[in-house]
Amino acid sequence: MSAGTRLQTAWADLTRAEQGVTGFIVGFAALLLFGLLSGGLAPTYFLYLVGIAGMYALLSFGLNSQWGFTGLINFSVAAFFGIGAYGAALTTADSSPLAGGFNPLVGLLVALVLAAVLALLIGIPTLRLRADYLAIASLGLAEVVRTIVKNESQWTNGTAGVRGIPSFFEGWPVLATFPEAMPGLEIFVPFGARIVLGTSFWSALLNVSLVLIFVGVSYALLRRVHRSPWGRVLRTIRSDEDLARALGKHTYSFKMQSFVLGSLIMALAGVFYAHLNLFVSPGDLDPITTFYVWVAVILGGSGSNRGALFGGFVIVAIREGTRFLNEFAWIPFDVAPLRLLMIGVLIVLVMRFRPQGVLPPQRELIWPSAVDEAPSRPDSGVREAKAGGGDE
Amino acid sequence: MVLLDHLASGLIFSSIIVLGSIGLSLVYSIADFANFAHGDTMTIGAYTSLVTFGAIGGLGGAVLGIPFGFFVALVVGMAMAALVAIVTEKVVYEGMDVDSIGLLITSIGVAFVYRAVIQMGFGADAVRYDIQALRPIEWLLPYNVRVTEHDVAIVVSAAVLVTGLHVLLQYTDLGRKMRAMADNPDLARVSGIRIDRIKLWTWVIGAGLAGAGGVFLGLYNLLSPRMGFNLLLLIFAAVILGGIGSVYGAMAGALLIGMIHELTPLLSQLGRVFTFLPEGFGLPIGNQYGSAIAFVIMVIVLLFRPQGIAGEAV
Repeated sequence: MSAGTRLQTAWADLTRAEQGVTGFIVGFAALLLFGLLSGGLAPTYFLYLVGIAGMYALLSFGLNSQWGFTGLINFSVAAFFGIGAYGAALTTADSSPLAGGFNPLVGLLVALVLAAVLALLIGIPTLRLRADYLAIASLGLAEVVRTIVKNESQWTNGTAGVRGIPSFFEGWPVLATFPEAMPGLEIFVPFGARIVLGTSFWSALLNVSLVLIFVGVSYALLRRVHRSPWGRVLRTIRSDEDLARALGKHTYSFKMQSFVLGSLIMALAGVFYAHLNLFVSPGDLDPITTFYVWVAVILGGSGSNRGALFGGFVIVAIREGTRFLNEFAWIPFDVAPLRLLMIGVLIVLVMRFRPQGVLPPQRELIWPSAVDEAPSRPDSGVREAKAGGGDE
Repeated sequence: MVLLDHLASGLIFSSIIVLGSIGLSLVYSIADFANFAHGDTMTIGAYTSLVTFGAIGGLGGAVLGIPFGFFVALVVGMAMAALVAIVTEKVVYEGMDVDSIGLLITSIGVAFVYRAVIQMGFGADAVRYDIQALRPIEWLLPYNVRVTEHDVAIVVSAAVLVTGLHVLLQYTDLGRKMRAMADNPDLARVSGIRIDRIKLWTWVIGAGLAGAGGVFLGLYNLLSPRMGFNLLLLIFAAVILGGIGSVYGAMAGALLIGMIHELTPLLSQLGRVFTFLPEGFGLPIGNQYGSAIAFVIMVIVLLFRPQGIAGEAV
């Protein structure tokens, strides 16, 4: 079988939505490649965008494992993200008002512990209640966290933010000096611009590989746990919590585990952000981040990690794409609300016309072997089986 | 007494929250979802009356320092908020095939659309109504209460609106149908109540009251595109505290939340309130924590009494 036909069968295997998304991704990648080669898009900025997209993908994974799998409406994504970022920043930065200057790995650990504690604090009062209570309470508690970070300047530097955060690889054997050690490259593109790859490019490349590792590990982990019996209980809770309880599952503790797991992944995104941006401020805890991530998850398809990944990239396209509109002076209104408008319209349109999202979960929730061995149609028809056995 | 002044501002702030929370509670119980666009409906009311008031001016006389024209603008603002809510219900919510959680998420999108449109039209900066700011009422100053006539107008108007709603719910046909539907929509339907029509009326009343709340919020503070969304969490706290679906519970919850919010500054000067404490005693909690304390109290109430003050068991 040649590569061409194999590609064709693989293409035919996809659903229409998957084909559309693949086409979109290929087109978008081509556009970016064109931008890179023609010099319109600086390579360092491109890598920054990839990093941000990876960060949103992580946040979406976190939310997906809470909302998509267990049905927990968590509106405090920004709080967990912020706790992760501040945890890492306050432990590692020189200017930290608390004990700073630790190794970034310590910062990572501190951030995760803080996020777990916060998740327990938010989860204990709200996870026993109806789903919409969690929505309101978590949004409120996220505001509490933001208020504390903003006002307790003896701990967090307040509105001034925390500066002087080292890169994640500071103090590592080889990687710490990798960007400086690499030679500056110059690439001449025929008919295009001259591209210079300097120190900033290499450190951006390091950041991107870091986020790719984070994303890859979380994806693999989530994929594994969600196919496990544990994951099946979560999905049962999402579709019918009473049923799960009737089957003898302690749903509260399952919900709590799922909530903490998701929060840890969000905090991971925060840690990455702190080391990418090298500066954190209370503005990073703005609730709008929460809703960006929500759009990513419901657009991608609740319960689907592939979808969350896709949604994360779409969000970055919206966020950074609208930034270019600033350059057009003829637009008669402020561009900042346009982003808000697009997010709002996107939420309404998705919920109105495709509530399951673009890439709803399909085969990914089932072990591949189970799909292969299953007969494509049942041995006897469902109707006959019912008609034979039931006395309805 | 420093306490009296804070109680007075608590009462004023409560009246604004009451107007928001009643509408939210009505929609919560009859349309059956937590409407996150409610805060931005308030913003719509506020900005509509800003435009109307700017167009028609004061219209001669004034009551309690507020020109007649402003009351016209208030009514226009309420009508606009109700109109927008109905259009949204017809265009967005009505044909949707999702559960109440899906509607909740949709309403967030709706909220963003409202806010973005307002921000495009008016900019992100805060503006104020073109009404002369008043000095505090003279004869209350000896008691250390600093309240302007505008504040009195806010409280009185809110009281009138709330009484009107009470009469509507208790003594009119529409009110009885609304209560029936909030109680048991299926039973209401088989009893011959046209639930679609009742739902529309609920949106009209809820959004109209929210619009009024928005106008008063703008009069009390300033108008900004975020004003409603910022207040929304306090309104939710009031509704939850009162018990979801109970209008009277929402009123009580709003009073409580408004008071807590405005009494927070006292925490740092407890010694001046309670004579048995030393003069300089106070908790290190500034007044920027007003909302935060209200949420925390809401969560604590949820822990021990999830159904709220007046709600039925969940």
